Amino acid sequence: MAERPGVRITGVHALSALGRGAEAQLAGVLAGTPAFRPVGRFDTSARRVAVAATLPEVGPLADELAEAVDAACAAARLGAGDRAGAPLLLAAHGGAGVPALAGEVAGRCGLAGAPRVYTSACVSASTAVADAAALIGRGDVDRVVVAAGYLVEPDQYALFDAGRALATDGAVRPFSAGRRGLLLGDGVAAVVLESAGAARRRDAPTLASVLGWGRAGDGHHPCQPDPQGRGLARAVGAALRRAGLDPEEIGYVNANATGTGYSDAAEAAALRLAWGEHAGRVPVSSTKALHGHALEASGLLELVVTVLAVRHGKLPVNAGWLGPDEACPLDVIRDAPRRAATAYALSLNSAFGGANTALLVGAA
Amino acid sequence: MTGGTPGALRVLAQARWPEPGDGAPPTLPGFVHSTFSPVVAAVADRCLTRRHGERPAPEPVGVRTAVVLVSAAGDRASADHVHATVARGGRPGPLFFYQSVPNSVAGHVAARWGLGGPVVCVAPTGDPLAEGTAEAELLRYDGDADETLLIMIEQAPDDAGAGVAAGTPGEAPGIRATAVLLGGEDTR
Repeated sequence: MAERPGVRITGVHALSALGRGAEAQLAGVLAGTPAFRPVGRFDTSARRVAVAATLPEVGPLADELAEAVDAACAAARLGAGDRAGAPLLLAAHGGAGVPALAGEVAGRCGLAGAPRVYTSACVSASTAVADAAALIGRGDVDRVVVAAGYLVEPDQYALFDAGRALATDGAVRPFSAGRRGLLLGDGVAAVVLESAGAARRRDAPTLASVLGWGRAGDGHHPCQPDPQGRGLARAVGAALRRAGLDPEEIGYVNANATGTGYSDAAEAAALRLAWGEHAGRVPVSSTKALHGHALEASGLLELVVTVLAVRHGKLPVNAGWLGPDEACPLDVIRDAPRRAATAYALSLNSAFGGANTALLVGAA
Repeated sequence: MTGGTPGALRVLAQARWPEPGDGAPPTLPGFVHSTFSPVVAAVADRCLTRRHGERPAPEPVGVRTAVVLVSAAGDRASADHVHATVARGGRPGPLFFYQSVPNSVAGHVAARWGLGGPVVCVAPTGDPLAEGTAEAELLRYDGDADETLLIMIEQAPDDAGAGVAAGTPGEAPGIRATAVLLGGEDTR
């Protein structure tokens, strides 16, 4: 790939039910076998659904986050001095202990503090990545570590169950006919982002670059997406404009699609609004069908998966497919991974509040 | 982390909850049990009304206005209620699902006023105004928003929603919020 300006991704790490570590994520999404299993972590006898994508033997969230940050920094070959100048942007479910969690993780990992925690539901981590890229681009800092974590726990599980958001058939079927909802999944990830100059000066490994990003709101409803997808379409447009790329150059979209009827249709509408007929020709899948929905961490887990897949040159399948839905006229990757036609990919996320993000990466 | 474009933003309007004469915050359809979301909506309405008069915000500024909600602890009353319900083996009411993240009320404000900029919720580890202003500056510098409605709110641990449930005159107990509309040149 010709060198484009952008923010370098020099180290990644992730944990999900697919396994522990970046390579486990790549192997898992290319294998295409969903990681959902009966929940054994807590009692689900009062719930309608009792399935999630959980990794056995996970530690407390603070420990898993610290391990992820350390592993990503090690992958980026960051020394203690390099870490000391890098702030942590953390994404996690909000609550009284969350600012302290950020401080603890930053302190344990030798980072330059944690100014804020992103609590924007399912766009928390992707917003943090966009902000990190913007901070680096503005010249505030040379390097930012973004970390995010959600481990399936009883309170959010009960809320999603009570909201009838969970798939009663135990499968996530993004964009598919017969989809019944989402399933939750563990996700802890960390990514080291650096300016091109800083990465070059220390001869850092570059996995990919964040070339563009966009954040936009629907202004439509507290909890439902705009059925026309106007906010997400604006986020996609902003990401491509920042990257200086045309839609025809995008080889893959890792969609937000949760397997929920109206929201998957709204995402398809957004891509059609942004790209017109071409939206039907871009390979799309949602890896939530494999690793579940990691809520506040979903944007970072999916960014890691997207980067690794595009680098590897193979695009993961959209598991759970039963058949086409005319409300989702997209080129959904089914049956087997597909060869990546270009090095550029989008990772999309949407959340309650009509919040939308688009992250555009180019594999190195 | 708060540098970048010094002086680029100015205060276009601001409001507080409570202000003199306020009673309990008005109820907010679809949100239950806690004062958190009703107070966010009330202080946002007050701030935006001072700027724009009537809903929705005029174009083109409306679609370029972000909502940034800053709260270190979030909706404590709802989270505590859900935790206690789940701990005793119960099922939380479905409305608690919809108000389980601060995005929901931020999205309510955005929909009510026709705001199409980013929706961002953050928990600051330091000064809420400084972090919220830094986020607004970054969004403006970055080009995703021209103006930001910045809402800062904290709910005391013992505020279990009495202000809403009882409709008691006087201040809502244990909750304080400020809304500030930040922007650059006058885009109206």
